Amino acid sequence: MTDILTVDNLDITFPGRRRGQKVKAVENVSLKVSEGETFGVIGESGSGKSTLGRCVVCLTPPTAGQVRHFGEDPFALSAGDLRRHRRSFQIIFQDPNAALDPRQTILESVREPLDVAGIGSSQERRQRALAMLDRVALAPELAYRYPHEISGGQKQRANIARALVLEPKLIVCDEVVAALDVSIQADMLNLFADLQREFALTYMFISHDLRVVAHVSDRVAVMYFGKIVELGPAGAIMATPLHPYTLALLSAEPEPVPARLRNKQRIILKGEIPSALAPPPGCRFHTRCPIARPECAQREPEWREIAPGRFVACHFAEAPPAARG
Amino acid sequence: MSSSVIAADSGRAAAQPGQQPLLSVRDLSVAFHDGERWAQMLNNVSFDVAPGEIVGIVGESGCGKSLTALSILSLLPRRGCARTGQILFEGRDLVPLGEAAMRKVRGRRIGMIFQEPMSALDPVFTVGDQITETVRTHFSVSRKEALDRAADALGAVGIPSPRNVVSMYPMSLSGGMRQRVMIAMALVCEPRLLIADEPTTALDVTIQAQIMDLLIELSGRTGTALLFITHNLGLVAETCARMLTMYAGQVVEDGPVDDILSRPLHPYTAGLLGSLPQPRQRKSKLPSIPGRVPSINEMPSGCRFSPRCTYVQPPCLEPQVLSAQGARHVRCRRHAELTLPGAAT
Repeated sequence: MTDILTVDNLDITFPGRRRGQKVKAVENVSLKVSEGETFGVIGESGSGKSTLGRCVVCLTPPTAGQVRHFGEDPFALSAGDLRRHRRSFQIIFQDPNAALDPRQTILESVREPLDVAGIGSSQERRQRALAMLDRVALAPELAYRYPHEISGGQKQRANIARALVLEPKLIVCDEVVAALDVSIQADMLNLFADLQREFALTYMFISHDLRVVAHVSDRVAVMYFGKIVELGPAGAIMATPLHPYTLALLSAEPEPVPARLRNKQRIILKGEIPSALAPPPGCRFHTRCPIARPECAQREPEWREIAPGRFVACHFAEAPPAARG
Repeated sequence: MSSSVIAADSGRAAAQPGQQPLLSVRDLSVAFHDGERWAQMLNNVSFDVAPGEIVGIVGESGCGKSLTALSILSLLPRRGCARTGQILFEGRDLVPLGEAAMRKVRGRRIGMIFQEPMSALDPVFTVGDQITETVRTHFSVSRKEALDRAADALGAVGIPSPRNVVSMYPMSLSGGMRQRVMIAMALVCEPRLLIADEPTTALDVTIQAQIMDLLIELSGRTGTALLFITHNLGLVAETCARMLTMYAGQVVEDGPVDDILSRPLHPYTAGLLGSLPQPRQRKSKLPSIPGRVPSINEMPSGCRFSPRCTYVQPPCLEPQVLSAQGARHVRCRRHAELTLPGAAT
């Protein structure tokens, strides 16, 4: 079976402020996502996770390498074909405000994709939009309100309805619950799970929140500074992280449990993500890595599968984390 | 007892019995006038912070966490706003104080850090200008002396080469560095209380860990009490000795952090804990709290949480009081009958 999404050796480079200067936002990323899967992408700001997400739905072109949807390169399509193709590959952003037009009612916003696609009669489009609002549990009376009149959680539901109304196959969810309170966040994550079952959706779930990504995902990719440093099944990565950066992320996540139930040692990373204009040589994490050795600054670690389905790029990944402490 | 008595314990130190609280908020209510009528946003908020203690305030957006902080600092709009109750700080009530007197407290005795460092730092002045301004407002020292103190403060918050950073503009610093500058500015006058409103929410998790560590370390070293406002229960669990849960403008629960996490007494606290994804229960359906925080116009006359509460019964339809249970306080009439689930193990 062909995978719904294949990314091969993807590079995305942006021009820097000065002439000739280049910023590599994504470098040599490869991954496959199969239909019905939830693929999590975790990383801090500047890791390139959002750029990757944008490229997956054809909002940012690759500089090198390829993105394929069901084996076909969407960037090779003509403008018109690409527009039709986009219906199946949608994206939802973090800020629920930015994606809704303040001058349109919620119903108009949700109907707009159908209008643009020219699907059905005006009456049918209205009906479909209303049905979708109902499906994401937005009360019918909210359909005629404007974005400023409803809460953040409700706005995010409207954004989900807007993405779903064209019956996509894959949705990139970029930090979709980051701006929401925990109980609203729980509702929203439940809704994403229900919709996935109902519409056979594939998700690429991008977040900086390890807890959220681990909860929803089947497999997880950990990004640092434009590269994937670890990729594998969500449960396995949470239980036995192989890359020191993944381990540091896990240990930095504060746990809401009483002190006696907390049995982890916190690793506090030194320093910050280096400047994108001057990537460190060798392993990009070596400037902050607690277990770095001189060779890490010279040689880039090889991306390899060290157990079935578990990929990692670290020179010392074969030694279990405890022994490396 | 004089204010020089400072708890020597650091980090998770709890209040010593018989000790005077540093801050004692009593029946604090705040109302805003919307042009037609008054809307009460804070309702009889009461709590204490002991010298050197680290206290967390949790709750969803709109529950009054930040408003409580702004009220303590008297940073509310002068018009259309009414504040009643007492805010006893170092034995003196701050509520009747005028702006001139408050200016001597703010930044000097009570420091503050906000969520977004960029909105609190002035982009057209250097880091050094901004810290020395704070120093020279409160101490009569020379420009050079103030600059020395600024550089020392920057060094104390872990900024490399502080002598260079004093002449830099906020724009050229990263988010984590800016928040360190904010902390340096808040602590340069050695306040007794530091109010930190979501100080790490805008930061990445590895930087968040650095900043929280720094705050705890500084609080332990200088004996500064910390009032830490956040929606992140994990951070409260790992940094605070005591926590308050706020809901719809009221304190609904108050007690030692570990006790509350093990066995919350208020259904709202239990609801917040329950809605967090658990690493060991991936893909499971998350319990959530139905409904949302009531708006000021639809505030129930009884327990404010009752419309969302699973355990609601007729007595809940009357107003609830914050009652003491040993070291703990809870605003729920049914708390003794309920055994609420705590943080998952």
